[in-house]
Amino acid sequence: MRVGNIDRVKRQLLHEAVSDNVDTIRGLPPRRMRRLERTKGAWFRTTPLLLLPLTLLGASYIVVSESRGLAVARPVQKPTARPRNLATALPDSFEPVKAAAFPLAVKRVVLDAGHGGKDAGASSASLLSEKEITLDIERRLRLLLEHNGFEVVATRTDDRLIPLRDRARIANSSDSDIFISIHVNSLRSHTISHGVETYYLGPTKDPVLTQLAAEENGTSGYSIADLRKLLERVYADVRRDESRRLAATVQQQLYSDLRAVDPGLENWGVKRAPFIVLVATDMPAVLAEVGCLSNEREAAMLNEPHYRQQIAQALFRGIFEYSKKGT
Amino acid sequence: MASSEILHVGIDLGTSRSAISASNGERFVVDSFVGWPADMVAKKILKRTVLIGHEAVANRTMLDLHRPLERGLLKEGSDKDVEAVRELLRHLLGLVGAKKNGKVDSSNVRAVVGVPAAALRTNKQYLRNSMKGIVDSLMIVSEPFAVAYGLNALLHTMIIDIGAGTTDFCVMKGRYPTEEDQRTLTIAGDSIDTHLVKLIEEHYPQANVTLFMVREWKEKFSFVGTPTQRANVVAPVKGVPTELDITNEIKAACETILPPIVETMLDLLSRVEPEFQERVRNNIILSGGGGLIRNLPKMLEDSLRQVGGGKVTYMEDPVFVGSDGGLALALDAPDSDWERLSA
Repeated sequence: MRVGNIDRVKRQLLHEAVSDNVDTIRGLPPRRMRRLERTKGAWFRTTPLLLLPLTLLGASYIVVSESRGLAVARPVQKPTARPRNLATALPDSFEPVKAAAFPLAVKRVVLDAGHGGKDAGASSASLLSEKEITLDIERRLRLLLEHNGFEVVATRTDDRLIPLRDRARIANSSDSDIFISIHVNSLRSHTISHGVETYYLGPTKDPVLTQLAAEENGTSGYSIADLRKLLERVYADVRRDESRRLAATVQQQLYSDLRAVDPGLENWGVKRAPFIVLVATDMPAVLAEVGCLSNEREAAMLNEPHYRQQIAQALFRGIFEYSKKGT
Repeated sequence: MASSEILHVGIDLGTSRSAISASNGERFVVDSFVGWPADMVAKKILKRTVLIGHEAVANRTMLDLHRPLERGLLKEGSDKDVEAVRELLRHLLGLVGAKKNGKVDSSNVRAVVGVPAAALRTNKQYLRNSMKGIVDSLMIVSEPFAVAYGLNALLHTMIIDIGAGTTDFCVMKGRYPTEEDQRTLTIAGDSIDTHLVKLIEEHYPQANVTLFMVREWKEKFSFVGTPTQRANVVAPVKGVPTELDITNEIKAACETILPPIVETMLDLLSRVEPEFQERVRNNIILSGGGGLIRNLPKMLEDSLRQVGGGKVTYMEDPVFVGSDGGLALALDAPDSDWERLSA
């Protein structure tokens, strides 16, 4: 062999290339993502965690007051009462328009694979991390959608960290109809159970959800002032209703399809939470937590291409169902 | 096993073309297409159970045609595509003479395969599983890394490998490249083809053009900047072969890849430690089929002027740069390492 006369740099490179391959065979995560590297991000993650509850309070205030406003306005819709009440209504208030009024099917879908690059997301002991799983599911889902005539815009197509702000920008500038963000759960407590859940935008008082949102919002690229502005745009209109409808359809498909493969799967339902990608996107948007890496058995399943394909198919059916109902 | 029996190969498994370089001196390149006769009639006419490369493309009307790689990665979830990539690999190994009694025998082959820089663990695992039993040992490396290794460009250089499915960037810092040193864009040869079809159809709405035709024209005429010759091609317009001037369309389509490539190149450069930036700027190597786009090195150099100028070298023979690099890696790896990498 030529080993004897190759120089030191080459030998080192070769050694690292071989180690990388051996890691692949063993199914270890790439070196960059291992523990030491990740602790650096901890500080950045905790900051929004402390600040978010404040903005959340603000948000729930806005939404509560708006929903009250609607409750008052409802009886007023009788034709006789209309003139008087028009005056009392806020000048910039508007009636929610039903999306069904526009008989357009969903054409373009934004797919958002959670995390990426330095931000590995949730990870399990020795298997794939969240960023790899989400990207893989995103790719599978994209193929399914494209095969069925949908157009797909992806917020990330490779292993790179895209700030949430840019993800929202990609989504908003793409003129798309709906936004699906794919994430994988990792629970601190009760790791025995595992389930699927789907979120749409809204305030929450659940401290666990607040923490989850803070974690996912960690690399947003938004300042607190920006956040407040965004949350002030939270309104009870078409987008929220449509987001809820989309979330419900996706969740139903996810649960019913995946339970067929995994009988122990729990339905954690449709929830509201203030994830930034949901706040900043202009179209109906949901965030699906398609599994739990904290559950060992499920982590092993998520490691199987076959199971990820099933998740992609369930998401696809959810989107498809939603787009059918929209017409 | 005596080392004389062992065949080392480097393989550049490309979306559009796959190249192989072997330690016995053989080198081949084939189009990454695999086709099976669509029905009994086709089987009778073709007298073959599987067709690969140019033959497959030429007879595509009779075939169930597969292009097993997409954006430089093996398509997942499709058994047919896995089978296609296995056929492709067997074919490549057969070409370089890994044969015994007329049948492809690859049990003593050690292969290094290049994949896009951004390929994930999952992708590599999938490729590894799909190639089980075809070669004795297998090492998967990032394609631009293989190029850099083959050229001995291991320190303060940047490789830009423009393929069909992906454009890969890699800054070599004398270490095994990490994700920070590498980038992959899905803007490459294929995206030029799609643009070109659209632009030609806009200009000549009556003309019938396919991706296959457009690909050939692009390979013949591609350029950026000022044209040096007119690109005149013949295509059927309402069934009548007609000469079309597609110079402007070629220019526009080829130039679509410029902004993202320039942006990524400058971004990666800005992440190099300041004292080495100049050296990297003067050591940019363009490889892959995209390196053949006329005037591209000059346009890239122009864009480097805003950061102090630099030098972009392009490979005269970009087809085998990747596979030759893979072969160099394969030969340099000691036996003990190969034993750990058995497929």
